[in-house]
Amino acid sequence: MADAFPATLAGPTSKERRYDRQLRLWAASGQQALEDARVLLVNSDGPLGSSSTGVSGVAGVETLKNLVLPGIGGFTIVDPAMVTEADLGVNFFLEQDSLGKSRADETCRLLRELNPDVQGYSYSTPITELLQDPAFLPQHKLIIISGPAKRSTLDPLCLEAQELGIPVLYTHSVGFYATFSSQLAAEFPIVETHPDPETTQDLRLLNPWPELAGAAAALPNLEAMDDHQHGHVPYILLLLHFVEEWKQSHEGNAPANYKEKTEFREFVRSKTRTDNPEGGEENFDEAVAAVLKTISPFTLRSTIREIFEMEQCQTLTADSADFWIIASAINTFYTKHNVLPLPGSLPDMKAQSADYVSLQNIYKSKARADVEEVLATVRQLESQLNRPMAPIPDRDVEVFCKNAAHIKVVRGRAIPQINSNSDPETLSAIRNQLGLSQLGLPDSLVSVFIATQILDAVVDEIQSSAQSSSFSVDDEALWKSHTERILALLQRDDPTPLDEEARESIENAILELRRAEGGELHNIASLAGGLVAQEALKVLTRQYVPMDNTCVFDGARSRSEMYRL
Amino acid sequence: MLKIWSMKQQQQQAENAEGAAGKKKKKVTAAQLRVQRDLQELTLGNTMKMSFPNPDDILNFTLSIEPDEGMYKGGVFHFNFTVNQNFPHDPPKVKCTQKIYHPNIDLEGNVCLNILREDWKPVLNLNAVIVGMQFLFLEPNASDPLNKDAAEDLRSNRDSFKRNVRSSMAGGSVRGVSFERVLK
Amino acid sequence: MTTTSVTMEDKQGQWQHLYKVLSKPGPYSDEDWVPGMETVKALESSKILGAGGLGCEILKNLALSGFKDIHVIDMDTIDISNLNRQFLFRQADIGKPKAEVAAAFVEKRVKGVKITPFVGKIQDKDEDYYMQFKIVICGLDSIEARRWINSTLIGMVDPEDPESLKPLIDGGTEGFKGQARVILPTLSSCIECQLDMHAPRPAVPLCTIATIPRQPQHCIEWAHQIAWQEKRKDDSFDSDDMEHISWVYNAALQRAQHFHIHGVTFQMTQGVVKNIIPAIASTNAVIAASTTSEVLKIATSCNPYLENYMMYAGEEGVYTYTFEAEKKPDCPVCGNLARKMTVNADMTLGDFIESLGERAEAQLKKPSLRTEEKTLYQRFPPQLEEHTRPNLRLKLRELVEDGEEVAVSDPAYTIDFRYRLNFQ
Repeated sequence: MADAFPATLAGPTSKERRYDRQLRLWAASGQQALEDARVLLVNSDGPLGSSSTGVSGVAGVETLKNLVLPGIGGFTIVDPAMVTEADLGVNFFLEQDSLGKSRADETCRLLRELNPDVQGYSYSTPITELLQDPAFLPQHKLIIISGPAKRSTLDPLCLEAQELGIPVLYTHSVGFYATFSSQLAAEFPIVETHPDPETTQDLRLLNPWPELAGAAAALPNLEAMDDHQHGHVPYILLLLHFVEEWKQSHEGNAPANYKEKTEFREFVRSKTRTDNPEGGEENFDEAVAAVLKTISPFTLRSTIREIFEMEQCQTLTADSADFWIIASAINTFYTKHNVLPLPGSLPDMKAQSADYVSLQNIYKSKARADVEEVLATVRQLESQLNRPMAPIPDRDVEVFCKNAAHIKVVRGRAIPQINSNSDPETLSAIRNQLGLSQLGLPDSLVSVFIATQILDAVVDEIQSSAQSSSFSVDDEALWKSHTERILALLQRDDPTPLDEEARESIENAILELRRAEGGELHNIASLAGGLVAQEALKVLTRQYVPMDNTCVFDGARSRSEMYRL
Repeated sequence: MLKIWSMKQQQQQAENAEGAAGKKKKKVTAAQLRVQRDLQELTLGNTMKMSFPNPDDILNFTLSIEPDEGMYKGGVFHFNFTVNQNFPHDPPKVKCTQKIYHPNIDLEGNVCLNILREDWKPVLNLNAVIVGMQFLFLEPNASDPLNKDAAEDLRSNRDSFKRNVRSSMAGGSVRGVSFERVLK
Repeated sequence: MTTTSVTMEDKQGQWQHLYKVLSKPGPYSDEDWVPGMETVKALESSKILGAGGLGCEILKNLALSGFKDIHVIDMDTIDISNLNRQFLFRQADIGKPKAEVAAAFVEKRVKGVKITPFVGKIQDKDEDYYMQFKIVICGLDSIEARRWINSTLIGMVDPEDPESLKPLIDGGTEGFKGQARVILPTLSSCIECQLDMHAPRPAVPLCTIATIPRQPQHCIEWAHQIAWQEKRKDDSFDSDDMEHISWVYNAALQRAQHFHIHGVTFQMTQGVVKNIIPAIASTNAVIAASTTSEVLKIATSCNPYLENYMMYAGEEGVYTYTFEAEKKPDCPVCGNLARKMTVNADMTLGDFIESLGERAEAQLKKPSLRTEEKTLYQRFPPQLEEHTRPNLRLKLRELVEDGEEVAVSDPAYTIDFRYRLNFQ
């Protein structure tokens, strides 16, 4: 009997098997985007003072580990440091034989072992020298910089990245603290945001299109049905039917507010048959449970409205990105119909197989028709604009339509810094965070961000000084002067003095940070590597929603916070 | 570490409890304890009997149902109950050991009862399951069948369904499928 | 195993980054904590046990946190689908036991660490085995295994021996989400107390699968649970056997075509049948590192440990929520610890039951009782009562071992009682 279902061995390829657990998250399209990407890691930028050869760069290497494993196309490590004994106690991608050799070469070699499909390149020259070659940076789709990096390196690197449209992640891992900030393009659009499936249902029960309304109207008389039929009418048809019945006794209006919806819910409940063997009906239970969520008119979320109103969407040019062309076409669709294209998915519900499938087809056909309409507008826009690039793939338009209610545009900002050129918005966001402690909230971790900024300033001074080897990264005088300078900067635009809680919180963060004297703890570096890789994956696949724009993890108290600075 | 240990000592002093020192022996598992309680709280009536192949193992037993009314009156139906160590987080597994003609029990003995699967909650107990099982014989449910043919028969012609039940219980066959004799 | 050749003053050594943090107090470290060599010694002498799917990360992190004596339990062998995140394994290792390959790799890479693998289930080991460790850290993938280790460690706590309390650090991931928690057996909220925070996956009614499928998953479940039983009764289903999965896939596909249902794929078939949970390297790194960071803090006291739960979600930015889950007073595991009772071994079980009725805390009227191995007396159902009635005349020594636990339930109480019987 084993041959009743002949087994054609149509199994997955070995690559699909290797990546199975992640393909279930970002699918083949996300995987392709990863494989097309090469990531640059700038892992150290000169010594941190007399007792150190520089940033140990463990968080950076751990980040790459988490990108090599899922199969990015390639990576480049830039790291002028030589491997020391101290590296061996904190960096897993070095071995005893690495001592004294180039850290870039050694970490690159051991990372490549993780995945034969990934290309790895290493440079022991400082990044500033590599930047002399204008072709160097554009090979990469993402830049990760391990801080502290001196401003004379960081600023030009970030600037060039911004001009080239390459996102940057600037990270710190010191002792029990990890912080990182991102610099994304000024408009960073995402179509596949992967919202919670619970929030994505769009059933249009109050404004059904003719085919859906027709299916409900074609229902035979409910009261005449036998128990079996009655207990298997899909709840969507039940609700459509009862809304019509309700309208007849409510001057043609559907239930509009919470009170009416609750009344309507009781009305639906009262139609349940209870004199059957089961003592109730599942499809009616489902209908009752769905009333509050689904009996609502379509409303455009404000985030989507904002995207439609953005300049890029309003004024298209021949150079406009695909995203904006499709967004504009969807805006046209919305203006005409007052709804977005139908996503077309139908939740599972109690029903006979055939009834469910035909209801599902009504949703699918409508979704397909909506895509066709948007596609026609897209093609029209393309020809009006005389776009030089390849036509937008049909598939992209389809995916966009399905996700239209949940698209996002992150407005990227420069890597936040506290210095004399600081953006007033950055300083004011930091001040706001510091003020929260007065409201009785747990003290803000923004103080950790401030402490890492002071560390940056201290290291910058050491590295820029002619006698850099005579300073220690734990130099009391340096810390004192830079702490005062940075606190003064925080009051540049808002002279109100910092309150005592804020000062104490910053002092504590500095104390905890200085405990490590700039060194990394492996656990925290590894955790930072996980968080930063997660952001890299989201930026590279353009799926899920990247952080905007700064995150602090406090390993001493096991918590994290995120800010837009 | 030392701090945690001193916390434990403080807690101990505060409670001044009778210590449970001494040799470590196997503990009664959470599942065993729960089944012990559930068994004690059963109401079986005279239509149900249980048997324990190994009385020391209360996680595996057989339930026999002898309906005293309804279409299945006169039959004796046996079900194997298997309770795993993850009980009551997981529901008990129940299987009919005989091949019977019933819309909610398939020919392999699988039972379709909501609280054995999708509606199981750890607050439910064995009694709830047993009551549900008994109900299946009083009110077979054609609406959500496992044995589709039996359900069709029940829906389309209740009298002929009844006849089929009688003949299947006597060991006869229905629509070419032969059934096990289950009469007392 | 202690290495004392390194001193805190050794600024050039392998562990200099770690020692900096362990040699001075921080603003959040405990006031009573004494940093320095003593702390390092405590760290190096702590024997740690790791287990589960986060094992690669956990072993690496423990080894690079300065722990010297690490044991690891894992029953699994390496599968190709592990290679996207379990970075100690290579293509050539497929089929080998995870615990052994991982232990050998980390031991070779990190100088001075000793890693002892055990290939098997955590349930294969007894209390004597678990007693040797200072801390247990788990990244297990099943609720059942978590509950088992939790109740085992809670059962081991001996109030007269503080070292019998083994902190349990637990981590788990699913896609971009995860959680880390610290459990101090009997002191803090345990896995059983927190069970309802992890809702079981919704199941589809069997009758839907049998008669009215609507989704591709329903067709796959039918092929897996019903068609297989019917058609291939004699083969026990193995979800790792490609022929078996292909058979289920084809059966599901035919059924789906019959009902005009779209979307059955091989990938989905595997997902449904094996209950596959998406997993990526980066989430595993985040969660494993938070758990090992807690181990380091507990072993050295260099900073406060997590009290007691941190959840993490990375789909939209970086989100964590740290809170203290509550200990449930009526928790069937940690709210119900065995009390010590000294009894005369020659007393009959019947007399013992009667004496329970006189105890102040219990005043049990109609108790049923058992040990792990034996049903001592069960009042209902009658079949068991008959069977166990003769035990009432037996002496306790004939039924129970000295020091064994007896669990008692009584319909008059909603909670159950556990007693550890020590013979006079």
